[in-house]
Amino acid sequence: MSIDLLIALITGAALFGVGIYGALSQTNLVMIMMGVELILAGAMVNLVAFWRYLHPDNPAGQMFVLIIMTVMAIEMAVGFGVAIARFRAKGSVEMEEAVELKG
Amino acid sequence: MTAQMFFIAFFGLAAVWFGIAVFRTYSMVRSALALLFSQTALGAMFLSMQAEFLGVLQIMMMATEMSIMAIFMVMFMMDPGGLSTMDMIHQKRLSLLAGIVSFLAAVGVAVFVDWGPVEMIAPDPAQQTIALGLELLGRSMLIFETAGITILTSMIAAISVAIQPVKQNTVPTITGSNHHEH
Repeated sequence: MSIDLLIALITGAALFGVGIYGALSQTNLVMIMMGVELILAGAMVNLVAFWRYLHPDNPAGQMFVLIIMTVMAIEMAVGFGVAIARFRAKGSVEMEEAVELKG
Repeated sequence: MTAQMFFIAFFGLAAVWFGIAVFRTYSMVRSALALLFSQTALGAMFLSMQAEFLGVLQIMMMATEMSIMAIFMVMFMMDPGGLSTMDMIHQKRLSLLAGIVSFLAAVGVAVFVDWGPVEMIAPDPAQQTIALGLELLGRSMLIFETAGITILTSMIAAISVAIQPVKQNTVPTITGSNHHEH
């Protein structure tokens, strides 16, 4: 296996692990979203590496990266929508206080 | 070690380093900036891997996205500057364990799977962009259009959730230090 591919995959794995830690450990909604961003970034590195080193002639690999970027943008938009609604209703985006879904 | 390999490893390490820094600082603005640097390092890593279009797109998109995130951080956090060093972490050991296990599992897959023959020569940037453009407006057009519509729908949904009138009996009890009305 190419060392370059291995470096990229290990980087993706590390970002995934850090993101999992952040998404599970943080109490603030915006910080949880940052963890999810890192998880998606890990997936994105893997996709770019697979496209670049395994199938560089197939542009569909880059298409998957664009899909991940779309998911990141949607996650931000919906997450901040929920954060604003929560802040207006309760004055805080601390998830420790969110014991029920009722607004 | 080639120069290309060095830069891929360097920017990969920087991305992970700044990713860890996101959760190690008490200042939420620093967290947002660390995430910005992490994503930018990833963009630079893509450029080092000769994925020029994706690298530039990553840097442009994430710079904007993380700047917006930093603004929201200042708006919503009780202590955006991190002056009180308040601990905002729960289930730390479980989270750490889950993070380490998922890292090791992903590394195991990366190392032990036979990925097949590796292509070291990438198409030149112009060819990459042309091929991606033809892919987006050809075979993958339905996916591309669906992604666009999904973003539009989620934007409308997010705005409609955010502007809902607050009920009178659930008036917020704001304790945050960044609320200046009281």
